[in-house]
Amino acid sequence: MRKIPRLFQMIGIILLIYFSFIVLFDYLLDQVIPSSLLRMYMFFIIAGVVAVFTFTEGSTEELLAPIMEMMENPEKRKVRNAVLTVMPILVGAYLYSQMVPSVEAPVELRSIHPAPPSSVKLFGKRYNLQTLVNPLRKYEKDDPEKFRELVREGARVYIENCHICHGDKLDGQGLYAVRLNPTPLNFRDVGTIAQLQESYLFWRISTGGPGLPDEAAPWISSMPVWQDFLTEEEIWQVILFLYDYTGHRPRTWEE
Amino acid sequence: MRRVGLITTNILSRIAVGYAIAGLALVLPILTLADLGEADKGEEIYFQHCAGCHGEEGDGLGPGAERLLPPPRDFTSGMFKIMTTAFDEYVPRDEDLFKMVSDGMPGTSMPGWSDLLSDQDMWNVLSYLKIFSGYDEEEPGPELAYGEQIPSSAISIGKGKELYLEDDRCTECHGLEGKGDAKKRLLGDNSERTWPRNLTKPWNFLGGNDPREIFARISTGIPGTQMPSFADEASTKKLSIEERWHVANYVKSLEKTVEVVDPQNTVVKAVLVEGDVAETTDDPRWQESQPSTFFLVPQIIAEERQFTPSYDTITVRAMYSEEYIAVLLTWDDRTKSIPGDATAEKISEEGLAEDGVAIQFPVTIPDSMEKPYFGMGDVANPVNIWHWKSGTTDLPETVSLMNAKGFAEIILRESPDVHATGTYLNGTWRVLFKRKIATENPGEDIQFSEGVFIPVVFAAWDGSAAENGSRHTMTTWYWLLLESSSVWEPILAGLIAMLLVIAVEFWWLRNIKRKQLAD
Ligand code: HEC
Ligand code: HEC
Repeated sequence: MRKIPRLFQMIGIILLIYFSFIVLFDYLLDQVIPSSLLRMYMFFIIAGVVAVFTFTEGSTEELLAPIMEMMENPEKRKVRNAVLTVMPILVGAYLYSQMVPSVEAPVELRSIHPAPPSSVKLFGKRYNLQTLVNPLRKYEKDDPEKFRELVREGARVYIENCHICHGDKLDGQGLYAVRLNPTPLNFRDVGTIAQLQESYLFWRISTGGPGLPDEAAPWISSMPVWQDFLTEEEIWQVILFLYDYTGHRPRTWEE
Repeated sequence: MRRVGLITTNILSRIAVGYAIAGLALVLPILTLADLGEADKGEEIYFQHCAGCHGEEGDGLGPGAERLLPPPRDFTSGMFKIMTTAFDEYVPRDEDLFKMVSDGMPGTSMPGWSDLLSDQDMWNVLSYLKIFSGYDEEEPGPELAYGEQIPSSAISIGKGKELYLEDDRCTECHGLEGKGDAKKRLLGDNSERTWPRNLTKPWNFLGGNDPREIFARISTGIPGTQMPSFADEASTKKLSIEERWHVANYVKSLEKTVEVVDPQNTVVKAVLVEGDVAETTDDPRWQESQPSTFFLVPQIIAEERQFTPSYDTITVRAMYSEEYIAVLLTWDDRTKSIPGDATAEKISEEGLAEDGVAIQFPVTIPDSMEKPYFGMGDVANPVNIWHWKSGTTDLPETVSLMNAKGFAEIILRESPDVHATGTYLNGTWRVLFKRKIATENPGEDIQFSEGVFIPVVFAAWDGSAAENGSRHTMTTWYWLLLESSSVWEPILAGLIAMLLVIAVEFWWLRNIKRKQLAD
């Protein structure tokens, strides 16, 4: 078997890494990787790979051999002329495309479920989110009748306050949902409340958009600060309702 | 051979299933539709999904009702809006009710349920809710007569337009251009406020917007509201079946096709103009400018909140010159709200205020993703707000400039160098804002610059819906872009880079030649 020239080995490795990034983020994680981030990763990767391939003088020579061969061997004239014409066009076109002003809005990525602070001030009190539990959850076992009552109260809180955005089917399709950017979350989806703890919801509902950390772009979220309008009890009730209606179970620390 | 056998049995079984389905389809309509539902099974669904709005007693007084306009239907009243029965019948056909539950009522909080409930569930819940009005015991009326549908054509639309305008038949409520710019204060049967539909936005029609549905609405009217029936023999404005098809075709033709929301478009593009920017709202150059339309949402974040807005979208255009930037805002408004004006007072809700519109920019254009909070900025990130108000009978229109760091910290700036002027015609406001590209106060005013994405928020107030202060509609952050005028720079840069590469290539080749000669 003929050995693949080292130059093509190197290019192959770089392309492989590049495409695996794209496959990993865009398809497996379903989160398009920002081009600026990708560019930064690729810069370090190319620098590293080139360093490895040019470690000794001999290896550098071997690496460049196909290029020198193409330039110097008169039999390769055709290939050489083709490459020499295409190169300047590519460079010119790339620079032009970079400088032509973009009319596409910048892509802004925000984290939808940012890591919560370990302790946070809500309703004028300090809470440790790592240990906080829904004080009403215990009735589910202890007093099922009272529990149904609390869920019904939660349903009332929801239909009075939340459905115009999150939808009365809890599907994120309320009357004003399409008018918002970013759009309200769909609680029936397995990727939202099913992944979260009740204390997380308590924090998110109480402090709303402005309570988000910076990586979640608090300046654009239209989620109101519900501690201004609801009582603590009502928030715990509406949380019971969210899980009850969707059939999801909250995450707990044991899991 | 075995293969073939398999395939033939497969085909045979499919044919059998096909016959079975066809057979069922023939039998089903023979059962009356109401028999498809079982009320006791519907009760549970009703309590889980419907009672929050329609009330446990079906009286439309569920806890959600208070903040909804139109209010949820009171099923005990026996009144339903969307019917395809003959005029004067009050029991809707089962298909009518089923369609409302399955598809929902656009533009209201009544959602469609077909994605969550099975057809059987929906029939069951209908059987249950008919008990509230006693319609479980009554037969629906006969279907209305559609006659022969007249296909839409220029001639039919022309005839429809004449009938629409004749005797103020539809204009009385829906206005000259169909935007619902009423001359009357209209109330529904439960004395709730109703507004004539904006016919240029047919995606908001409750009963659907194909001509057959529009024909049905013109024929039966909308019970419980002042939308009358034009099949009513007693009406002086009655229309024949043929005439109703023409009017339906005309209404369908009113649909707006520009100035509609394109969810992909988040950027208002301002083009560079020669000479001065537009000074008036009807400058012909606005026609060439590309519109961007955004949804407005009611402000429910800070007290006083607004739950029952009347505006739904706003359209923005922009242009700039060396010295000035001009932004034109247009939006449909059924009422010109001028406090002090007798007609305006009559049409308005209690608490008539001026109409208004505002644009918000960050004081400094951010160079990272971080922006001021979309609701009037925050302590670290102040915003500029340009606010135009339509004026009263005593005061002319006004424009003010505010700097805000959140709801609580608003400074009204003296002698703002922002200009604004508005005009109202046939149900649409057009307001023009104008300011210098650069001002003398870079610390307090946004300085516009070419080719960068500038965050922008819009807000609007319908004074006749008692919108005032923090009760208004608004958008979240979108972008304004002053399109760069330098077309030549990138081309030049590309060419120079190309020449450089070519030079390097020649130099390299020459070196190789020399070396080869030397060897
Ligand atoms: C979020 C509140 C809400 C919920 C939940 C809701 N509705 Fe409605 N519904 C409304 C409103 C508001 C209207 C009246 C719209 C109008 O008058 O334009 C309405 C109207 C109706 C109508 C009257 C249609 C007509 O032609 O007049 C029916 C029937 C109806 N709803 C059935 C249901 C059923 C069945 C459910 C539960 C599966 C349900 N609704 C859940 C808000 C709601
Ligand atoms: C007296 C006032 C009045 C007149 C006259 C009137 N309408 Fe209406 N119309 C209304 C109101 C009010 C509504 C909205 C009712 C509601 O709140 O659901 C409406 C709604 C409509 C709708 C929306 C139907 C839907 O599915 O949502 C159409 C279409 C319509 N009208 C067409 C017409 C046409 C065509 C004429 C003339 C032939 C006409 N209207 C005359 C008051 C009127």
